[in-house]
Amino acid sequence: MPDDEIQVTEPLTSTTSEGQDIRPGELLVPEDTYLTAGVHIGTQQKSASMRHFVFKIRYDGLYVLDIKETDRRIRLAAQFLARFPPDKILAVSQRQYGQKPVRIFAKTIGAVSFSERFVPGSLTNPNLAEYIEPKVLMVTDPATDMQGLSEAVSVGIPVVGLCDVNNETRNVDLVIPCNNKGRVSLATIYWLLGREVLRARSGSEAEPAYPLTIEDFQAAL
Amino acid sequence: MIARADLRCTSCGRGLAGRGATAFLCPSCGVETIGRDARCRDQSVPYKCKNCGFVGP
Repeated sequence: MPDDEIQVTEPLTSTTSEGQDIRPGELLVPEDTYLTAGVHIGTQQKSASMRHFVFKIRYDGLYVLDIKETDRRIRLAAQFLARFPPDKILAVSQRQYGQKPVRIFAKTIGAVSFSERFVPGSLTNPNLAEYIEPKVLMVTDPATDMQGLSEAVSVGIPVVGLCDVNNETRNVDLVIPCNNKGRVSLATIYWLLGREVLRARSGSEAEPAYPLTIEDFQAAL
Repeated sequence: MIARADLRCTSCGRGLAGRGATAFLCPSCGVETIGRDARCRDQSVPYKCKNCGFVGP
């Protein structure tokens, strides 16, 4: 891409307002599913950029995330990802418990995944065999997926990131606040994202054909 | 394709020139183009959609 131009992907589906797509007070899955998966569990350290997403501080100093905001951001991220061509979405995870969820998520929505080592230059060096030109990057943890994040910044593509309470949100363009360390939590988030991306692409409120379960996304112990 | 010269950072108003800038349609409404220059991305400066009022990141 020439240096003086920038890519903006037009929406594939008709535009709907926020009020039509997000029903206040209604979660994507029952609240218990989020709570048992530990999606709301944060860390004992808090970064300044994640303070907006904190619901409360537990007696032991653990920061707890707001489930409703997580739910809302999953919907937004799914709408956002659904606007891109499937093969131009890159999902990465260096985190061990995120590797299987990322692989299955990418397979479900037709995206590309780097679930093992992110070879430096994969987005910037055309001479590499791994070289691809995605239009959006999805990172599991901005701290561990630093290489992918910095290359996405170099090539000027937007970044969607799962961020825990202790994560810095620098260079992330859309934050999904959640527990990005837990095995079940990551499986739940990617399962939901996959389902919602397919739903957003179909453009209907009806439940899409989605035979996978959260257990299918879980990494082995 | 939109020329970079035509786009400005939604947060600070600078032109989206140089390395590190990006532009994308608002995650919420998909209508407004959100521009983010390298400095605002690096410092995680919030942006607000002029169409729907969504505040990110």
